[in-house]
Amino acid sequence: MVAENSTPHLHSAVEPKQTFRRALDMAARAAMPSLFIIFSAILLSAPFGIPGQAQLQFGIAMCTVWFWAYSRPRSMPALAVFLCGLVVEIFSFGPPGTVLLSLLVIYGVAHHWRYGLSRLGFIVGWLIFSIFAVLASFFQWALVCLHAVALLSPAPGLFQAALTIGIYPSLTALFVWGRRTFANPDQA
Amino acid sequence: MLSIHARQVLAKAVLPILILLAVGLVLLGLVRRPAVDGVRLMATDFMAPAYHGLVWPQERVKVWLMDLRGATDLAKENARLRDENRALRHWYDVAVALAAENGRLKKSLHWIPETVPQYVTGRVTRDDGGPYSRAVLLDVGSGHDVRIGDVALDAAGLLGRVTEVGPHTVRVLMINDDASRIPVTLGSSHRDAIMAGDDTASPRLIFYPQDHHPVEGERVETRGQSTMPAGLPVGTVHYSAPNRPVVVPDADLDRLDIVRVFDYGDDDSQAPDAPGRVRVKKLPQNPLTGPLPFSWLPNLPDMPGRGGQ
Repeated sequence: MVAENSTPHLHSAVEPKQTFRRALDMAARAAMPSLFIIFSAILLSAPFGIPGQAQLQFGIAMCTVWFWAYSRPRSMPALAVFLCGLVVEIFSFGPPGTVLLSLLVIYGVAHHWRYGLSRLGFIVGWLIFSIFAVLASFFQWALVCLHAVALLSPAPGLFQAALTIGIYPSLTALFVWGRRTFANPDQA
Repeated sequence: MLSIHARQVLAKAVLPILILLAVGLVLLGLVRRPAVDGVRLMATDFMAPAYHGLVWPQERVKVWLMDLRGATDLAKENARLRDENRALRHWYDVAVALAAENGRLKKSLHWIPETVPQYVTGRVTRDDGGPYSRAVLLDVGSGHDVRIGDVALDAAGLLGRVTEVGPHTVRVLMINDDASRIPVTLGSSHRDAIMAGDDTASPRLIFYPQDHHPVEGERVETRGQSTMPAGLPVGTVHYSAPNRPVVVPDADLDRLDIVRVFDYGDDDSQAPDAPGRVRVKKLPQNPLTGPLPFSWLPNLPDMPGRGGQ
């Protein structure tokens, strides 16, 4: 089964009439994952004083890109990943480019393995995602060390990876529901 | 119109091109970090009113909770405030007496008055450290005159220094950031040390004299250097482990709200040239042939070098 065409193809004769309003609705539903990343990035950059806010920005972006890249790539094209990554970069103050590069790499992996990932169970998919979350955090830590010319504590990076891995199941539940309902362009 | 084959090639090339652009951004961040941080600061400037709007409900809830807590325990709170007020009155009297004495002493010593620093007060717009750094953004309004290197203080003590300046917003690198190095003086011994941030709540003390280790509970103040004036309160010494003195900051680094940024200026603190750098004037070949400039003095006694003139 191909994940992209999870909804059965309707015959053109019974498809609803393509109106401007329906096209807009479809575009909004397709853009829902990207808008979710952008909205989260801006919201989490506000000074709420919640512990781990910056780490959560990274985690939400990673989980969203991973899920939609293998589950419905039409809702998360490479260009959208790039734009979302840029927004996250602008509203965070980590080493420049690391979040963007991590998102693109994780998108490439998920998109390339989407057929295999769709067949695998949730736990295995989560484990593979965890490996990439740890690698991305390690890459970020290595760049910060390079920039500071010092060996910094890897604890914040490990916390970021743990938070990213930890929020994945709950976000997946939200996305699975969204894929069927509010983020499904076929239901427009 | 592109052919199907061309479109497939283009679709496959998009991701590598975007990854290359991201690598370019990473390299740009390593080479020209201020350029990237400038863009981020502009975005924060633009978003500052929205941040106020977003945080407003949270602030209101905090105020209500505080009121509620106060209302449930009014008698105890009143007793505590009365005690605190009594203690504060005592310290106020001490402070007034000391200020008067200080003024008299300065007058008798012909003390050169220090320049009053300019300052602006701003509210913390957002905590923008990220996982690896400790920094905050302040909304200081338009028309400010904040410069890079200015000193930020909260009500209790030193907070950090300004690292980036935008039209409405400035970024303050806090004293516990890993990149922060502040020259300090230990209160009782007057020895110098460097306070180095390490991303924890208490920055470490390094480069203190080995024959005089910092004492537990000793006051730590800033040491005067360029834009950093001497004597600003920083915190107290505490040993978190043997031979590991740290500074417990006076400033509340976790809950920042109102912050003042002081401009102490650095124009008047130019050191004179070191003796080794003073250019030596070349003496004439025979300096004693001409009339001496003090030959008009009557009955000038013989001096070595005058040649018995």
